[in-house]
Parts: sequence; structure tokens; C-alpha cells
Amino acid sequence: MIKIDNLNFSYSKHRVLFKNISMQLSNGHIYGLLGKNGAGKSTLLKNLAGLVYAQSGKIDVLGFDPADRQPAMLQQLCFIPEEFHLPAIKIDSYVKANAPFYPNFNHQYFADLLKEFDIPVAQKLIDMSYGQKKKVIISFGLATNAKLVIMDEPTNGLDIPSKAQFRKIMASALTEDRCIIISTHQVRDLDNLIDTVIMLDENKIALKASVEEITNKLCFKRLKEIDETVIYAEPSLAGYHAVLANYHQEDSKLDMELLFNAVLAEKNKLKPIFN
Amino acid sequence: MEFRDNKAIYLQIAEYVCEHILLEKWQSDHKIPSVRELAVALEVNPNTVMRTYELLQNKNIINNKRGIGFFVADEAIANIKSYRKAQFMDEELPPVFRNIYLLNIDFEELQTRYNTFVKENF
Amino acid sequence: MNNTFNLHRFNLLLKRQWLEFGKIFLITLVVAVGVFVAFYGFTLFPLEGPISARRLNFREPLFIGFGFLFISVIASSYFAHLGQKSKAVIDLMIPASTFEKFLTGVFFTSILSILSFILLFSVTDWAFITYIQAQFKTVSSDHTEPIAYFFTKNKVSAFAPLYIVPFTVTSIFLLGSIYFNRFHYIKTAISVMIFSGIWSYIVVKATEKLLAGKMPINNTGNNGKNSMEWLIFAILSALTLVVWVITYVRLKEKEV
Repeated sequence: MIKIDNLNFSYSKHRVLFKNISMQLSNGHIYGLLGKNGAGKSTLLKNLAGLVYAQSGKIDVLGFDPADRQPAMLQQLCFIPEEFHLPAIKIDSYVKANAPFYPNFNHQYFADLLKEFDIPVAQKLIDMSYGQKKKVIISFGLATNAKLVIMDEPTNGLDIPSKAQFRKIMASALTEDRCIIISTHQVRDLDNLIDTVIMLDENKIALKASVEEITNKLCFKRLKEIDETVIYAEPSLAGYHAVLANYHQEDSKLDMELLFNAVLAEKNKLKPIFN
Repeated sequence: MEFRDNKAIYLQIAEYVCEHILLEKWQSDHKIPSVRELAVALEVNPNTVMRTYELLQNKNIINNKRGIGFFVADEAIANIKSYRKAQFMDEELPPVFRNIYLLNIDFEELQTRYNTFVKENF
Repeated sequence: MNNTFNLHRFNLLLKRQWLEFGKIFLITLVVAVGVFVAFYGFTLFPLEGPISARRLNFREPLFIGFGFLFISVIASSYFAHLGQKSKAVIDLMIPASTFEKFLTGVFFTSILSILSFILLFSVTDWAFITYIQAQFKTVSSDHTEPIAYFFTKNKVSAFAPLYIVPFTVTSIFLLGSIYFNRFHYIKTAISVMIFSGIWSYIVVKATEKLLAGKMPINNTGNNGKNSMEWLIFAILSALTLVVWVITYVRLKEKEV
């Protein structure tokens, strides 16, 4: 579905973001894109959508070069930016003007999603709160039935009940021919939704592994004391939250925040485990 | 559903399904929720639920009727019990044994305690 | 599927763009109506004294001056929103080709705006002149004779480059609207002034150099007026096309 080959991207000489990044993403997965602020999460997503142009390297999205911005690709692509602006019109007019561009747009599904999200349909888009607008474009984007769904910080601005609705909607939106990529720094909102983690750090992909692979290789545990088998640990009320190599084939629950910090702090110890 | 921190999600979902079968909310030879339905209800990735269902199929707790969906297997309750028993023996018992050993607890004392417990509760 | 141009998609895009751009367009149009009515109104009222053709002398400057303002303001607002990332993302992701998006811009700024201005102006002018002629015919027909309708009075075949000028103007301001991220109108105007200043300076200096110590020997009075006219027409057309091509490339390479 997506193939990136030796991608190099920088905004300027002093702001290099990616050095020779390569990876492949396939359909039927929800990828979680993690990284520190400024690591390039949004920029990577924009590269995939053809909104920015890389200095060198090749990107293949659904068989297209996204930089060409061809309608045939854009029809299959749903991109939910973190910041966006919607015109001062009602939802009806918005759909009437934009939906015909998408041959697979499903009006019933769109109505269902708005209902699920509790959006007042008659209201003008401009009078809606940021969170409500976000729910509208998420609903619209999913209703296009696009094969590739890219979301940049989708849970930003959503209130607590909306986050649960969002998780339900995304769980049902994942089909076998769809690829969903979500960038987030609020991993707790989404950690049960993500099945493959992609982590950006220091101009590279520091980690790309499925939750299954991670929990096969690593074990996340609470420990009273730490010893040399511990790769990374954080003190907590009752001892430590620790990441260990999974020698005993334990099936632990992936703690994404702990993994994130472990990758940042102990790159060298983790690298041999995942290669 | 509230997930605990100490166990893989797909195993917690397996417990959830087993619980429903044991309590006969989902009865033998009845269709259980599809992967998608359960994923939506629990707000988790459908692939995780798929992994749970594959595990339960291997344990003969549910079976997949092609094109129709997943059903509670005939011998589900017995199989759940043996699956749970194996889990208990492998995972929960060792720490208890460790304490029994460390605290020098006598097996006869345990036996009496166990008998009282059963009498009071069941 | 044709990924460069598709009539159905182009049609959808026109409708979509009209939803937002149409508001700016209609507001500008209402302002234009107000300006016309104000100018003609001041001339007509009070309704006394002879109405002479001289009192209607404002029509040509109004048509040219305000016409320029009208089409340039509209053109310089068309791509203006692409300067804001939050608006640009949504537009760039719409499944239409860059060529269609560009062509929609050209349609609104160079065709619709020019046509609607001419239509609006001629309707206003026609209404007022008809009214004046009807009012004053009974008094004296002498003064109303020269008061002809705008486009009958000003023969359209006067000067060929006039036909292309509106397109050149709109193309330049359309480019300005995508080239600059903020203050599109003023920045475009200043750039045009600087550019044309430098250009005139070069032309004047070059002519001085070339013609120094020479004099015309074949002076027939009409120094090839016709061919000069067509040369200017050709240069302006070429300039317009070049500016459109640059605009298309800017749109294609727009990043957010």
C-alpha cells in the first residue's frame, strides 16, 4: 500500500528531518506514529499525502507518486490535518460540494457517524467548536471510503466521551483493504487501537514493529527491584515499571508510554533485539 | 470494559469471552459477536480480537463456520475449564507456592482452610 | 481515468469553489453597483440645467479605473487563502488535478469577473442614459444628441491591445495571490510598479543608446501604427500566457 525508499527530507540545511528513511506499510493495519515534538510526525504524513516534497527518495502510495497529486490517488486518500479550516456553510452544502469528488462516498455511513459523534447537523460549520469540526471532517473522511486514512493528532480537541466514540469508530473503520495511520502524542487515548508502532527519532525510524512482535520480544512488568535484565525502568509508587527482554515468553500488556521512553533512552540496547 | 495493566489485551479479551460462555450469556452453538462487533464494543483493534478468536479456536472453545461467523463450540465449557486450569497451574500457582515455601506453611493447614472456604462459599 | 482534465470534475470544482469564492465575488459586485450608482447619481441630481455630454465625462475614467480595481481585487483574492496552511491543506487534498484547480481560478478571475463587470457597467450605463434621454427629450433634443450609450460612443475597435489588457491584469494579480502569503494586493501592486519601473528605465536607456546621433529619414507621419498595435497585443498576450504558466507551476509546487 505504501512504500518509502531512502527518503531524505529537510526544511532547510539546519533543519534536517529525515535521513534515508525506508519502510513499507500494508493494508489491514492501524499504524501509530509516535515521536517527540519536532521529530517529524506531521511532515512524514504530509510526505505521504503529497503536501510537501522531499529532497530525494521515492514514495509509492497506492501505486502513485503522491507528489503528482493525481485525482485517482486523492480519491483514495483521507487526510485529517491537525489544523484545518472549514467554510462558513452548513454540513449539507459542504457534503453536496465535496462528496461528488469521491466515487465511493457513502451518505448513509456519513449520517451514522455524525449521529454517533452527536453532531448538530443543521448548525453552520463556522459556529462549531474545534472538536465538533474535527468530528465532522473525520466523519466525512471516513465516509469517502478512502483506502488510505491518515490522521494527524485526531484526538486533540476531542472531549472524553468523544474519544471513546472515536475509538469505536476507528475499530469499525479498519477493514482488510484499508490502511490507517495515526500520529499521536497522547498514546493513552489510542494504545489499544494501534496494532503497529512506528517511532521517529533522530531523523530515523527508531522502531517499527507490531504490538505482537514487541510483546514477544519485550516484557512490561512492575518490579520491586531492578537488576541487569531490565532494559529500562521508571520508578513508581510500588517499585518500578520496567521493560525487560522477554526470556520466559510472558504475554504482558504493551505499555506504549514506557516503550516510547525506553526507545528514546536505550536505543542501543533495543536495536539488536528488533533486528 | 476496563483493561488491567498486567496482562496482554488479547488474553484479557479471551477471559471476557470465556466469562460470557461460562455464565451462559453466550450459549453452546450460538453465534457470538463478530470480530468487528467485539472490537467496536471494547474499543480495540480488530486484529487484536482476531488474535483472541484464533487462540480460542485452537482451544476448541469457539469455532468458525465459514461465511457465517464464530459459534460457541459444543464442548466449550469443558475446554474453558481445562484452559483456565492450565493457566492457573502455570501462572497463578507458582507465586503461591513460592509464598508457601517462604512462609513455611503446612499443607494440612491449607487443606483445612480450603475445606472451610468451599463449605462457606459453594 | 484522465488525471489531467475531466469535464465532470471541472464542473464539480467550479461549483465547490463558488461556495467560498462566490461570497467574495458577490460582495465585490455589490460594492461595484454602489460605486456606479453613486457616480451616475451625483451627475443626475439635482435634475436641473442642461445635461451636456461634458457632465458625463466621468464614464470612461470610471470604466477603466474602477474596472481595473474590480478585476484586480477579485483576482488577487482567489488563491489568497492558500497562504494559510489550515485552508490550503483542504484545498490541495480535493481530488481534482492541479490543472483543473488552476483553470477554475482562471475562469473566475479572468472570465467571470471581466464579463460580469462589463455586463454590470453596460446595464447601469444603459439604464441611466435611457433615463436621461427620456427626461430631456421633451425639453430640448439638442443636448441629448451627443449623449450616446457607452459602447456606441466608444468604438470598440479603437485599440487592439485593450482586449488583452484585462487578462494581463488578472493573470498578474492571480499570480500575486498565490505567490505571496499575506497582503497579496499591495505586494503585487508594488512588485508590478518596481518591475515596470525597471523595465521602462531599461527601454528608455536602450532607445537613447540606439538612437543617439540618428534621425528618422522615412517619416510618413503614421509610424506603422497598425503594426505597433499588433506588436503590443502580441507582447501582452505572451506576457499573460507566461504569467499563467508560472501560476500553474506555483500551484503545482505549493507545499503546506
